[in-house]
Amino acid sequence: MRTLIIIPAYNESQNIVRVVDNLIQNFPQYDYVVINDGSHDQTAQICRDHGYCLIDQPINLGLAGAFQTGMKYAMQNHYDAAIQFDGDGQHRPEFIGAMEEKIKEGYDVVIGSRFVSAEKPKTLRMLGNNLIETFIHMTTHKTITDPTSGMRMFSRRVIRILATEINDGPEPDTIAHLIRSGAKVCEVQVKMDDRIAGESYLNLSRSIRYMATICISIVFIGWFRQKVDLGKEEVLS
Amino acid sequence: MTIWFRILLFLAAILSLQLVLRNIRKSKLLISDSLFWIFFSAILVILAIFPQIAYVVSDLLGIQSPVNLVYLVIIALLIWRVFKLYLRVSSMDTKLKELAQRIALNENKALFQKENIFPNKGGRTS
Repeated sequence: MRTLIIIPAYNESQNIVRVVDNLIQNFPQYDYVVINDGSHDQTAQICRDHGYCLIDQPINLGLAGAFQTGMKYAMQNHYDAAIQFDGDGQHRPEFIGAMEEKIKEGYDVVIGSRFVSAEKPKTLRMLGNNLIETFIHMTTHKTITDPTSGMRMFSRRVIRILATEINDGPEPDTIAHLIRSGAKVCEVQVKMDDRIAGESYLNLSRSIRYMATICISIVFIGWFRQKVDLGKEEVLS
Repeated sequence: MTIWFRILLFLAAILSLQLVLRNIRKSKLLISDSLFWIFFSAILVILAIFPQIAYVVSDLLGIQSPVNLVYLVIIALLIWRVFKLYLRVSSMDTKLKELAQRIALNENKALFQKENIFPNKGGRTS
């Protein structure tokens, strides 16, 4: 089984070396690709200097655009699975193996969840997380304990969809849309680290906009969207 | 506000919503871009169902007819949206220019610099 780790990086010059060197030294069984999303800092130059596998986007497309570039790369190179991985070191590669096992069992989307067996803390951020969980449950009857987790692995037939669809970005509403379309989704308990350097993308007004978009997309627009054609289930050895 | 005007508002809201949803279905409209139109339709529907809101607010603002308030709200929302659209067009212009320049420069690099040929230096290698 060939798995690709997609690392979208926007202004991650302080983190990218630590993240990628860890993968190269300790997890050489996985392929990786860094997608530089038009960073203003030295991210691309650092990657070139270290000889990393880099796709350098000349302009900023946003996380969804960078992620889709990675998905296109995964599709072109016929990977069996692709995992979305943070460029700031929040995600830990030791959990990728367990997620791969689920893909082998026939799941299409495997979410690295912080809350399968652990309790959800009661913060404002987690209130949003809970709300999205509730809406996904309401519309799909499936419980996703950590819908906003950015650590998600996708099977080959889902990679094809994410690489081409315009409204299936790396967000929880895509998970809901995929469940509605018949994709098999499961979660694996993982641990995540706090980001060590750099700034988080979400501020208050962006958070409100994000929540509004995701919630309306799941509970309202999802009803009217066309189901994606997943094609045949693939059996992996 | 007459009942016919309210029905007209309601129908306009439903039609614009239907247009938006159809284009999402056809993968021609981004969900993040549809948000404005969904809220826009919702405001029209609310004003059609509860015209009292328009009466109260127009009274407060000293606007003679509540219908004028409805127009004002619609025009204000549209002007704001057009401005946002202009911002978007400007940023797309810039990005397109950057892309074209990058592609052209890369092509030049691939054609000439790899073989270390610089036609602008009379074919000498540098």
